[in-house]
Formats: sequence, C-alpha cells, structure tokens
Amino acid sequence: MKNLRAAHRYAVALMAVAEEQHVVDRVASDLELVGSVIRGSREVQLFIASPVIFVGRKKSVFRALFGTRVGRETLAFLELLVTKRREALIANIAEQFATLRDEKYGIVNADVTSAVELDPPQGQELKEHLERFTKKKVRVRFSLDRSIIGGLLVRIGDTVLDVSVKHQMEQLRQRFLEGGPELN
Amino acid sequence: MAEVRPEEVSAILRKQLAGFEKEADIYDVGTVLQVGDGVARVYGLTKALMSELIEFPHGVFGMVLNLEEDNVGCILFGESSEIKEGDVVKRTGRVASMPVGEQMLGRVVNPLGQPTDGRGPIKTEKVMEIERKALGVIQRQPVKEPLQTGLKAVDGMIPIGRGQRELIIGDRQTGKTAIAIDTIINQKYTHSEKAKKEGIKPVYCIYVAIGQKSSNVAQVVDKLQQEGAMEYTTVIAATASDPAPMQFIAPYSGATLGEFFRDTGRHALVIYDDLTKQAQSYRQVSLLLRRPPGREAYPGDVFYLHSRLLERASKLNEELGGGSLTALPIIETQANDVSAYIPTNVISITDGQIYLEPGMFNSGIRPAINVGISVSRVGGNAQIKAMKKVAGRLRLELAQYRELEAFAKFGSDLDKATLQQLRRGSRLVELLKQGQYVPMTVEKQIVSIFSGTNGYLDEIPLEHVQRFEKELLEMTELKHVDMLAEIAMTKDLAEDLTKRLHEILKGFTESFKASVKV
Repeated sequence: MKNLRAAHRYAVALMAVAEEQHVVDRVASDLELVGSVIRGSREVQLFIASPVIFVGRKKSVFRALFGTRVGRETLAFLELLVTKRREALIANIAEQFATLRDEKYGIVNADVTSAVELDPPQGQELKEHLERFTKKKVRVRFSLDRSIIGGLLVRIGDTVLDVSVKHQMEQLRQRFLEGGPELN
Repeated sequence: MAEVRPEEVSAILRKQLAGFEKEADIYDVGTVLQVGDGVARVYGLTKALMSELIEFPHGVFGMVLNLEEDNVGCILFGESSEIKEGDVVKRTGRVASMPVGEQMLGRVVNPLGQPTDGRGPIKTEKVMEIERKALGVIQRQPVKEPLQTGLKAVDGMIPIGRGQRELIIGDRQTGKTAIAIDTIINQKYTHSEKAKKEGIKPVYCIYVAIGQKSSNVAQVVDKLQQEGAMEYTTVIAATASDPAPMQFIAPYSGATLGEFFRDTGRHALVIYDDLTKQAQSYRQVSLLLRRPPGREAYPGDVFYLHSRLLERASKLNEELGGGSLTALPIIETQANDVSAYIPTNVISITDGQIYLEPGMFNSGIRPAINVGISVSRVGGNAQIKAMKKVAGRLRLELAQYRELEAFAKFGSDLDKATLQQLRRGSRLVELLKQGQYVPMTVEKQIVSIFSGTNGYLDEIPLEHVQRFEKELLEMTELKHVDMLAEIAMTKDLAEDLTKRLHEILKGFTESFKASVKV
C-alpha cells in the first residue's frame, strides 16, 4: 500500500513533465514497452529487484536496453528511479501513468462479459451506448463467460451494469423467497 | 382448509412475475482483500458511504467503518468464515438501519431488527437509521415527569425522570439487571386504565442485551412474559456468541427504536445491559481494523461511542409532541473500581448513577444501593410533590446514620440522641429492602416511607420491620383505598391527608406492638 502511494507520486510527476513537453502519448507508449519487457523476462525482473547491483551498473544496463527504443524523457525518468532506488516500482508506475492518462483524456475502461461472442456491429453499438451512459470515451474489453447464461455484464471501474440472465434469475428467486408484493 | 389447486399456484406465480422488470441492474462492487474475525478490508467500493450496509456473498451483511485511500474497512454482521479473499462485495446504497414500529413490541430481535424468537417475520412500515444524531437544545425541554421504578430506594432518593440518563453501576452479581427488569415490570402500571385517569402516559420499554449469555436473555424474556411485561417491551439481543460487530451496534438499534416512540409523542425507556461489553466489542473491531489503541487499549473515540449514544436520550418540547426517551445504561465494574476508563467516562456522561455494592448485597440489603454516592442530577424535579415531602428527610437521616454507624458497636455507652439516630437509621435501611419482581406503586411507597421518617418504626423490633410494612400496606389497601387513590390523583400530600396518615399509623402501630409482645 505504501509502495502504491509512492508509485502514484512518481506517476503524477512524470505526467506533469510529459504534459509540459507535450509528449504524453509517447511517454505512455514507452512505459507500456518497458512494462512488457519487464513482464516478459524473469532475468530483467531479478536484475531490477536485486539490491546488490550498483546504481551505475543498473543505469548503464537500462541505457543499453531502452536507450534507442524510448524517448529522452522516459530514459531520464528510469535513471532517476534507479538513483532513488525505486526501480522496483516501475511496473506500478507504468500502470498508474496509464490510469492518469486515461483520466486526462476522459477514457474509461469497460469490461464486457457475454455468454456468446458479440459480432463487431453489436460491439460498436454497445460501445456507443456505454459512451452515452458514462458521457466519456469508452475502451471496451470483451470476454466470454458461459455461466451468465445470457445477456451482458458490463463493469466500468467499480460500477457494474448487470443485465445477465443469471442475475435476473437470482433476483427472481429472491422474490419468490420473500413472497411477492401481491400475495394474500 | 381446501386443497391447493394447481391453477391457484400458477396464478400466484404469474402475479409475482408480472411485476418483474427486466431493466439493467446497476450496482457498485469491490473485492475482498482480507478477512479477519468480524472485519474485512475491501478493495474498490470507491463510492461507499460511511456506515453504509454492504452485501457479501452467502447473505452476509457488513457495515463500512473505515474509508481509506484505496480500500474500505468493514465490520461483518454474519459468519466471517463464509467470506473468502477475492469475493465480490456489493453496495446496497442504504445506511445501516432498523425496522421500527409497534409491531416490534413483544418480540425478541437482533440488532438489525430481524426476529430471533421464531415467531415469524415482523412487518413494520418504517425503517430508521441506526446511527442518528442526537437532538439539539431547541427541540428539548427539562425533564419533568417521573419514571417510577417501583423501588422505594430509587424512587425515594434517586428519582429518575422521563428523558433522563441514569447509570446503574456495580460489580458482577450485585443486582444491576434486577433493578432494570423491575423498572420494566413496573411500567405495566402506566399502560393501565387507572394510570390514564391519573394522567400518566404509558412507557414502552426496550431491553438491549449486549454480550450476555443466551440463557440469561431467555430467562429475562421468560420473566417479562410471566409478568405480562412483554406486551410493551422489545428485547434486542446480541448475545456472547454473536459477532462483535453485532454487539457493538446493538445499543444504537435500541436507541433508534426508542426514538421512534419518542418522536411519535410517546415515552420510551431503553436499558443498555451492559455498555462495558459494548466498549469491549468496539475495542475488538477497532483493533482488528488497525486503529491505534489508547488507554486500556480502547480506541481514541470510545468516549464519543458512549456520549453520542446517551445523548440521544431526551425529553422533547411540546411542539414536537412532548415524547421522551429515558436511558438506563448499565456498567459492570471490576472489584469496585469506578475509576477505570469506561466507568469514569459513562459516569461523566450520565445524569447520575445508582451505585450497587457487593458488600451490602451480601449482608442482605437488597437492592444493594449505596445511597451515599448514588445521585440523580435532574430527577428531583420529576418527583411528585407527595414523594418529595416524605422522602426529603429520608436521605438526610440515612446519611447521619452512616456517619454514626461505626459507633454502633459501643452500644449502651452512647448518648440518647445518638442512640435514637442509630435506631432510626437501622429501621430505615430495613424498610428500604425490597424483593425482586415486586415493584410498588408510588402511593404505597409514600405510606411506607412516611411511617419510617415519622418515627413510627422506632419502637418496632428490627426483625419485625418488614412484617410491619407488609401488614400496614395490606391494611391501608383494605380500609383506606380512597386515601391511596387521592395521593395518586393529586400527587400531593395535603395537610388533611398528612393528618389522616398520622392517625392511621398511630392506631396501627399500637395494635402491631401488641402483636409483637404476644
């Protein structure tokens, strides 16, 4: 939890710099790349986590790894993290930065679960509906889950829009248990 | 009963289905990060409100108690063993609340208002929040009506008014609950036709049992039923086996139900038995939620825990209906230590205390009230005039008696005045003894105390005092009912009544003395 807070601060600082220099999108894609490299290699993970390796060595390894593939700002930021001995937070910072960027552009993520695959026009229509509902741009991620039987389950942040058959049947069951409104 | 035909069943089903909408259900969710004994930390639920009810899987409900940067701390009102890490939690959008209404009377419920007496669901029309803010100064008026406990020692010397908060404090097994139960039983009178004529309004009772043994609660309910007191009483029970969060919210539920009666212009009495255990369960959940411990490991807001509860006791002004909520909190001390944290807190919050002592209890003085340090800071205004007249001297004489008590050993070496003082005192102490479950009406208390403070008992041997009182009251009830009725009606002891009482007592004492000698 403490680390998350630190990660948030670094992400906010990086966002401020990126905004000043109008390179928000490039920094975001750079961080995505860095994140995927780290996730993809156990060796890199161990290298970053190791406290034994000197700061100078770490910096030079970072330069060799990303020097040509990321922008000047991102590289400087990575070096700063190493100097501050916060390199373990890189993955978290990348995540936080992505969230900050989405906030800035008014984009929300929506996880859509359906029982059957949606065809592209259906997906597009759903996206438009969600954009009207949230009054923001929506990035939709689709997934399949047969257990909801039918309908849709949309999750945006903490809010769930539940039109699944499974949920409706559960509600119906509750109603029968309680005894409906017009009994007796 | 006619047999059920299939079409009837389907007709009912169709009816229920007819009202079922298929609109999207929108709700907020979070994920369980951590579950402990009675508490959980939930990630997400960013929009959750303080003290909002949230729904866990398996029908377990919880209440938000901590709002933190990226998670919320909740207390659980059900089995925490059913909850796992990663479970999805839903907001209900409701703040923790309790169903209220007359339908709750006669029932035993848990702190969420669900019945636990196996007598079916309770259908109330209204639901009120458990945590409500106490009323301000404008809405109140001074306490002015008496709340009769039916105990001579209390009604005579430590009177309680409707809307007051009077603490009952003492060690274990000193009769704290007995006083509370007697008070509930005595309210039966206020529901009678006779009380209506005398202008006494009925008092509805709520007994909140916190952290007690279930067998104790069952006993209390049984006793109240036997005495016909359950008709105007609700028992809210969070027993020792219920989760600590339930025990923590139980008094607030009781106050909410009491406030329902108060706000509808009626009078309610709520007994919190006991707040020590409530503070302990609050300490438990606070520590589990990682709030920093303070003195005796209680969290920093344990004073506010009790002050906000007891502040809800009040007497409303006439525009708001003049209803009242009287609170009788109970505190259990350890080895007579009233300077522990919780006792000092509650003593300072309440409008007085009834102090019970094991020593007195064991020497047979029951109720074992230590009159010297028991006080009622507002009830005096609420005493009826007649009682004020006869009981005024009672307190003083008992105080003098206690001062001289140590000299009693010297026996005949004392001067006459001291001997007289000792004689009077010992008889008054004897007179104030009263059995359990035998509350006394105020007019009888007056006759009884009158006989003591006016010296009619001085000549009676100590061991005959209780028989004297019993026979005196029987005789007055048989031959002088009109006098008792007049005291109850006028609530005052006019001069002619005093004269008549003296005459009656003179005659009775003579004949009683004769019976003693034989």
